[in-house]
Amino acid sequence: MADWDEISEALADYTISCNENQRLRKMQRDWSRMLHFVCSDTPQTFSMDVVRGEITSTQQGHVGVPDIVVTATSETFCDMFWGDLNPVQKYLRGEIVVKGSQEDVMRLDAISYVIWPES
Amino acid sequence: MTGDDSFEPAPITLRRSVGGATATATSAGLAFAAIDYLGVVSILAYAPGATAAFAIFIGGLVVILVSAIFSELNGLYPTAAGIRLYMGRAIGNRTALSVTFTYMTTVVLVIAADAFLIGAAVRHVLNEPAVLAYVWIAVLLAIALAANLRGVRIAGWVQTVVTYTVLTGTSILSVVALFHVGGAFKHPFDLFGRGTFSGIQAVAFALFLYAAFEWVTTTAEEARTPKVITRALFIAPVLIWLVATVFALALSHLVGYSTLHASAYPQLLLGHAALGTVGELWMLALTVLTALNTFNGGFLVASRFIYAAAREGNLPRQFARLNLNAVPWLAVTSLAVVSAVVAAVVFATGQWLLLVSVGAAIECAIYAIGSLCLLILRSRVERQRPFKLIAGRPLATFGVVLFTLLFVATAFADPKDSSRFSVAPFSVIAILGAISTAYVLLVVPKLQRAAAARTAASRPRRRPTRAPSSDVGAEQPGE
Repeated sequence: MADWDEISEALADYTISCNENQRLRKMQRDWSRMLHFVCSDTPQTFSMDVVRGEITSTQQGHVGVPDIVVTATSETFCDMFWGDLNPVQKYLRGEIVVKGSQEDVMRLDAISYVIWPES
Repeated sequence: MTGDDSFEPAPITLRRSVGGATATATSAGLAFAAIDYLGVVSILAYAPGATAAFAIFIGGLVVILVSAIFSELNGLYPTAAGIRLYMGRAIGNRTALSVTFTYMTTVVLVIAADAFLIGAAVRHVLNEPAVLAYVWIAVLLAIALAANLRGVRIAGWVQTVVTYTVLTGTSILSVVALFHVGGAFKHPFDLFGRGTFSGIQAVAFALFLYAAFEWVTTTAEEARTPKVITRALFIAPVLIWLVATVFALALSHLVGYSTLHASAYPQLLLGHAALGTVGELWMLALTVLTALNTFNGGFLVASRFIYAAAREGNLPRQFARLNLNAVPWLAVTSLAVVSAVVAAVVFATGQWLLLVSVGAAIECAIYAIGSLCLLILRSRVERQRPFKLIAGRPLATFGVVLFTLLFVATAFADPKDSSRFSVAPFSVIAILGAISTAYVLLVVPKLQRAAAARTAASRPRRRPTRAPSSDVGAEQPGE
């Protein structure tokens, strides 16, 4: 199981990778969402605020009303934010559970795909 | 991770979520396409006159069983990828992939059929030469392609309004046709028409009217509660049953079958017979409106499926490429091109009722496989279900037998003539199934090996290694 330090380190790297990717920023320019994450193996929860494609904040606990809720193990979250796993494979196996519209589910995966095309 | 160390998160309400009315409209809208008007003609081939209404009613009862089966499966796996998950767990991943590839071809068939039918209807009303129908088909698909590539999405409320407008508009014109033109009920027995009633084929084609209503399960992740989807799965078939019944009665009252089976636009013939040019334009408007749901829903469902399959490594990775509107452009373009080719073949051969037969047979096969999945998962998965079908095992067994019989009845039926046997629908399905299976067995393993090699060669694992923690044996990426 990954603790909050590991998750926040992964999140920090993910935030930089996303925000520095100009193609991604352009692609997600009309995408503003509040994301909630729930660890299924620990009591940890955290939130991510995306405003016009830019990750403006990530913090522990749930903030505001979510547009998307993602549930997975803490290890899966860490690997996903480091770009070390393919989120779609986990999603299609039911190991990542997403609550949100189909469009948002695809947009979420698109982030990983654009910043780590080989994942 | 074991069941003991998992944490049950508190229920979370999404800012935007799908409620009952929208889910029902989505389900009914996905099912009620322009091809359904032709579906009624296919039923009339086997159930003349008012007996078609009986077939539609029996079809509706059978669909309630389908609703219950899919409600339980959707409750077990409430995700857009649900169909892959429950089929994969029940009958194996490879078989599930072959089946879903074949299933997705029905989306292409419906898009192609709708493009063809709308093109033919527009050409008919504008009194243009027959060849211009294909120009309209190309224009419609080009508009749909351009809108999809630009990431234009029809808002949920627009889809809801469109669906209820189409259903209500069709019902009103049908009722007008029945009660105000020629007094259908002055001689009610005349409504029964002449011909042979072939029950099993008639019911199989009636099932096609409801086909795709179960795709609403792909919106499970945005539903306010799982019950929203369950309710939609039960209410939408009732709406379709009501509309299709009055339409079939009106059609058999005012338009002869000999005229119908040669026409690609029976709804326009009914509109004209009921209210002249106004009625014809009325039905044309409704036909064009169905395209909004078909093209929006069809392109979205199929292109996202292709994207996910490419990201998973089951299709060439080029299909996952996104344009600057975050749209998988190659997937969307390929769908439009294949639909245009299918529509051209239908246009050239005039075999539009064959599409109905193929679609109906594939749906029956999917329902049979869904019943089988339920039966298997009842033994394998002990998890609590939000919806549980009463007498699930016997009913699922009954479903497997019934839908297999209906598949055979439809796949070997001549859609135009009840007295003739035809292998054409089965041949098309067999070819599609064989291509899907060969692809899954021969090409997918190569693609997956190539993807794994590419990932391994491209860069090392990025996540920093930490001191060993309590989760010894945690899964490594790529496993």
